[in-house]
Amino acid sequence: MAPSRDDFIIAIRSAFLKKGNQQRFSLLGLIFFSIIFLTLGSFNFKAIDYLKIGIKEIVYRSSFIVSTPENFIKNNFLKFSDHLNHYKDYKKLKYELKDLKSKDLSKTIINLENVKLKKLIDDYFITSNEIFAKVLIDKQSPFLRSFILNKGSKNNIKLGMAVLDGIHLVGKVVEVNYLTSRVLLLSDINAKIPVSLQPGDIQAIMSGTGKEKGILQYIKNINLIKNTKEILVYTSGAGGLFKSGIPIGKIKEAQISNNNERIVDFFIDFSQLKYVKVLSFSKEKSPLQEPNEDEIKSLNIQIAEMNAAKETIKVLLGEKNISKEIRIKIEEENNLLKNKIITLQKTMSLAKKTITKHEDQKKEIKFLELNLLYGHKCRKSNFNRLYKVGTPEYRTCVLNKGQKKN
Amino acid sequence: MTRITENSITKYFYSYTPIILLFISVLNEFDFNYLGMDYFSFNFSYILIFYYSLKKSQSLGYGLIFIAGLFNDVVLSMPLGISSLIYLLICGFAAYLRNITLRPSLIKDWIFFLITISVVNSLLYTILTFILSFKIDYFYFAANTIFTFLLYIIFSYLFDFYENKIIGRAND
Repeated sequence: MAPSRDDFIIAIRSAFLKKGNQQRFSLLGLIFFSIIFLTLGSFNFKAIDYLKIGIKEIVYRSSFIVSTPENFIKNNFLKFSDHLNHYKDYKKLKYELKDLKSKDLSKTIINLENVKLKKLIDDYFITSNEIFAKVLIDKQSPFLRSFILNKGSKNNIKLGMAVLDGIHLVGKVVEVNYLTSRVLLLSDINAKIPVSLQPGDIQAIMSGTGKEKGILQYIKNINLIKNTKEILVYTSGAGGLFKSGIPIGKIKEAQISNNNERIVDFFIDFSQLKYVKVLSFSKEKSPLQEPNEDEIKSLNIQIAEMNAAKETIKVLLGEKNISKEIRIKIEEENNLLKNKIITLQKTMSLAKKTITKHEDQKKEIKFLELNLLYGHKCRKSNFNRLYKVGTPEYRTCVLNKGQKKN
Repeated sequence: MTRITENSITKYFYSYTPIILLFISVLNEFDFNYLGMDYFSFNFSYILIFYYSLKKSQSLGYGLIFIAGLFNDVVLSMPLGISSLIYLLICGFAAYLRNITLRPSLIKDWIFFLITISVVNSLLYTILTFILSFKIDYFYFAANTIFTFLLYIIFSYLFDFYENKIIGRAND
């Protein structure tokens, strides 16, 4: 047994202690060095921190350059996928646009009311120090969901600042260097965000899962409102890091009744981010002082104006409907009258015909009467040269009560 | 296949390929997340370090591996020194295997690689979770280990091809 143990020890010793042909450092020495680094780093030793900062400045820029070919392939792949889904996306967007347009006016009013109410309850809503940054490295490793921005302490980026894509929350700044900073995404397993669920205003904590989804925690005893199509997830503002009401994602209908795992679908795809907005939220010091009251007044006026505009639109829409109804009635009446005119014209023509016939009959009767009286004065015989019965000359002669003497 | 032996500059460049690959892999991380495959990830650095420490120990210096580990820690925002420790342990395992092997066999190397990455990843998980209080998805970690193990044999063939057919360098 002893020789085999000796062999093992010799092999281990040779592997860890003996320097190879072209090795400048001993393996064991470097392992000890790593352990020292690790230990001192966990105690926040200053020299290690400076070394880390120095390496970060070099590595982040180098990583950006080294990632260029892979990013090129990745972007082309995504473009190709987008191209394939173009028609489907177009249809979907068209439908969404239609839907959103219809909601727009009401949303403006609600937003204004929201701002006013937030001022009244002394909430965080003032944004300051808004910085736009480019995503330098986007390495979504299975162990860490984060990316590096090209702005650092030089550009006033501070720890804990919120990172947004448009109006949607992306994550928060967890590391600030001189020229770069690291953003921890909402999907990271270590990200914990206080959220509010609407409808119902239920408070919860959302955690990342390491995938493209989030999961709700600490709402075990509360049943979510069922018979709802979807539940929207916003920041609750608790903790003071983010303002309340920043959209995060939604819980689909199928997930609402699932009491064990409530999966949150994020509104944005974190792998598609190129530019983001980094900002911090500060609290308004005295929200009910004179200038703020003025602001509230102006907001009230704006809300009143919007409401008035809405009322006017309602009235105009009502008038339009009434006009439409009147027009339809008039058209119907017009058609009826046209029909009546046609009927009357027909009756008139019939009456005219009857009158003409009647006049003809009257003339005939008069002729016959005169014929009885004066027929003998006009009728042709062997003894005179008058007119033959039935001829127009005979008729004229009868009507003239005999032949006129020149 | 023409061997690169004539041009000394080209030969010099090709001899540094493992180091260049190692630094690219730690700076770039070769993730394929955009393909949308859940749980698919592998650690190329582990494969590269193990293979070259085992077969061509002169190609990768321990000092450079140590620096690559520091870079990896910075890129992945892990405590400084942990990747260096893991990489150097892999080197140690590979050196031990090299010392005890009389007749090299790819399958034995492959099995030993599984043992190596299981040990170092267990150590990494233990340090990160229990000592440094990091939260890590265990399934991702396990899947990463499995895929790294499975892909070792493919990369081993590729590296063999590169070293023997293109450069014409014999194994240790």
